[in-house]
Amino acid sequence: MLNEMQSAGVIQNYALFGATAQMRYTEPVATLDADVLVAVPSPDRLDALGGIYGFCAAKGYHPEGEAIQVRAWPVQFVPVFSPLTREAMEQAETADFEGVPFRVVRADYLAVIALSVGRSKDCARILALLESDSVSREEIERLAVRHGLAEAWRRFERRFLND
Amino acid sequence: MTEIEQLLARQARWQKSRKALSWPEKIRMAEQIRASVAQWRSLAGYNAAAAHKSKSVRA
Repeated sequence: MLNEMQSAGVIQNYALFGATAQMRYTEPVATLDADVLVAVPSPDRLDALGGIYGFCAAKGYHPEGEAIQVRAWPVQFVPVFSPLTREAMEQAETADFEGVPFRVVRADYLAVIALSVGRSKDCARILALLESDSVSREEIERLAVRHGLAEAWRRFERRFLND
Repeated sequence: MTEIEQLLARQARWQKSRKALSWPEKIRMAEQIRASVAQWRSLAGYNAAAAHKSKSVRA
């Protein structure tokens, strides 16, 4: 559906992020919804997500709270909200989901987005990605520094990684 | 290694082995986890409501 939405011009680009993207690299984790970063044609409009809601409604998928229920999953569409998230979406990889190509945020960007948010579950996400060897400390550091998160990364290292 | 340590080591190996599943398999597993959590939450809500009701009846 996301690919169709992109072809129809409802969104310019998208990439799955959050826990469902993390699971490409780590063990399965408990999550209540699927998060999708989107670039919309008119991000400054008050109803920036209106086109997405309309497209989903036409397919029979309706809003439930802040998400849209798409088959088994409540999907949260999040417009790119920073240079980091825009870059994460643009640099996303195309993964195969049972024959369907699906854009998914890379492990290094997932870790640095988690670093920028900084809740406990985000710290756990960074540790899980590091443990899965899908990203290295150096890669996270490089990206974190480039996006003004050097201090946040130092704090994370002190708290969780220094022996 | 004690029996408990062996059990924990086996459990850790089994948990780590889930990392090797395909992405769609992991997503399906997450769907099952989500369904269990939802069921557990609704049950917890039901139990809390029942406990509240029984307290009100006693009062």
